[in-house]
Amino acid sequence: MDGILGNLGVGFSVAFSPGVLLYAFLGCLVGTLVGMLPGIGPLAGISILLPATYALDPTKAIVMLAGIYYGSQYGGSTTSILMRIPGEAASVMTCIDGHAMARKGRAGAALAIAAVGSFVAGTFGVVMLTLVAPPLANFALRFGPPEYTALLVLGLVFLAYMSSTSVVRTLLMASVGLLIGCIGIDVMTGHFRYSFDIKELGDGLGIVPVAVGLFGLGEILSTPSKTVADKVAAPRLAELMPSREEWRQSAAPIARGSVLGFLVGIIPGSAHIIASFLSYAVERRVSKRPEEFGKGAVAGVAGPESANNAASTGAFVPMLALGLPTGPVTAVLMAALLIKGIAPGPQLVSEHPQVFWGFVASMYVGNLMLLALNLPLVGLFVSVLRIPYAYLYPLIIMFCIVGVYLVNNSIVDVWIMLIMGVVGYFLRKLDFDPAPLVLGLVIAPTFELSLRQSLVMSNGNWVIFLSPQRPIAAALFAISAALLALAALSWLSRRDWRKALPEEE
Amino acid sequence: MTLRRDHVAGGVFVIAGALVLAVSGDLPFGTLASPGAGMLPTLVVALMMAFGLILLAQARRSPPLAEVNWTDLPHAARVAVVAGAAATLYVPLGFALTMPLLLFTLIVLVERRPLLPALAFSLAATAAVYALFALLLRTPIPHGVLGI
Repeated sequence: MDGILGNLGVGFSVAFSPGVLLYAFLGCLVGTLVGMLPGIGPLAGISILLPATYALDPTKAIVMLAGIYYGSQYGGSTTSILMRIPGEAASVMTCIDGHAMARKGRAGAALAIAAVGSFVAGTFGVVMLTLVAPPLANFALRFGPPEYTALLVLGLVFLAYMSSTSVVRTLLMASVGLLIGCIGIDVMTGHFRYSFDIKELGDGLGIVPVAVGLFGLGEILSTPSKTVADKVAAPRLAELMPSREEWRQSAAPIARGSVLGFLVGIIPGSAHIIASFLSYAVERRVSKRPEEFGKGAVAGVAGPESANNAASTGAFVPMLALGLPTGPVTAVLMAALLIKGIAPGPQLVSEHPQVFWGFVASMYVGNLMLLALNLPLVGLFVSVLRIPYAYLYPLIIMFCIVGVYLVNNSIVDVWIMLIMGVVGYFLRKLDFDPAPLVLGLVIAPTFELSLRQSLVMSNGNWVIFLSPQRPIAAALFAISAALLALAALSWLSRRDWRKALPEEE
Repeated sequence: MTLRRDHVAGGVFVIAGALVLAVSGDLPFGTLASPGAGMLPTLVVALMMAFGLILLAQARRSPPLAEVNWTDLPHAARVAVVAGAAATLYVPLGFALTMPLLLFTLIVLVERRPLLPALAFSLAATAAVYALFALLLRTPIPHGVLGI
């Protein structure tokens, strides 16, 4: 414990340096806007701004990008409550009771409860991250290539099991991502793979053009030009204070949402979306007045908002401690660190303590900043929603082109981004979620290397993954097999938990 | 037989997998003890085709392709074409000419918005982004024919 406190002290000295504070603030500000604006999710926001971090040192870069991620969870609640438009998918549940509260004249209270719940949950998540990640990283130092292969397989299977589309569709997208990740020079043999004499493809397809294409441009192509409501009532500062009864009703849901969200967040998949849905279901189940849900129940705002914030923090645990991205956002954040020559994983804590602890400490500071930003400036943020989408999306396309070009000063990257944008459009039309594709692309090099190293180590014996000498790998593969069996059973019995998820608006 | 969404979704990946296998001939698969550059791609393509076939087999549960909402396709196509043109012109014309053209074309020709506000917005936004990337972040942007 003393060690953690000492390291956290080092982290705070990094987090409170003016440069890091500035980029944490910028991340939180942009994240809030990204969360509010329909059509731009946190993934698109992070992907588009990733190139802007190239000139920064790794700590500032990751602090700013993570700020966008958890800032977007805060921002998403504003449009959900005031306009019944979820700025991003995890805010769908907040629409129901948040907007009902707004119709009753309690918009300010709903916003305040959402912001305070998000702050409490976010801070709880960071405390847990502080306590859990270092020992987990320590444990993962025992991992060799077979364990890493098993861990990455488990990550993909978990993602498929927990994803909001079907298992088959998710695994198919992950396979495509792994295949795209094979493009370029094979590091073990020097063979060129699928580069078709285009020298820029020798290094493989970059994560940035693929992610920006699929989630930035792809989202724009799928969002028909629309008018955004120009009359949005923004509550005044004086109206933001919830009543004593509203505080009392929100305390337990915030606590439950924080714990539930953090636990769900650690599991690969659409964690923050599932966490907010689960929290809503739990609150309705434990409520003494379930009939109030849908009509402005305070718990229906406090629980889901807390859960999705805690989940977004929980998602950092496997990323930082194991080098395992649990979703596309953490995959892109991992890519940001890899571009800086820093590999997230067990060695991160010991080899780059400034980055790890500076990042953790900045999340405490970031959560405070978001609380301070979101309540007093709600009127200002709402005015951004009045920018017509017809003006907004051309600007985003400009950022996509400029940002992607900057990565390698390569127009080939821009074309990859454009092609991926079109691919992303058609994938959405065919009901595919492109997120697992990015995840597959990010883990492809590690997966291939650890798989081939394992086979070389065992002289071609597949049993290395299941042998008693490798209990961790065997256990991880056993969990993967059990999850696939569960998925097959639910398919056979036609009882899929996804059917209970609400349709996105 | 009605053509359904998953007939296309599954079929595309089966055909794509077959094409990838066709161009993978020169990649050595190796052996299990000494895996070659073609091992993972082959395994992954096999998986991709298998999942594609499962989708094809289950396609009757998916909606008819005609029921998929394609009304936004013309808009998406126009936006993609303009973005493609901007990518083509970006290096030869440079940032300072291409970007206002991109914004102006999208706002006026694709979105049918009034000319003057669109022009003002295009120039102001380009200047702001130029200031951010070229002056503040000092990142290299293409100078093109104007040399700025």
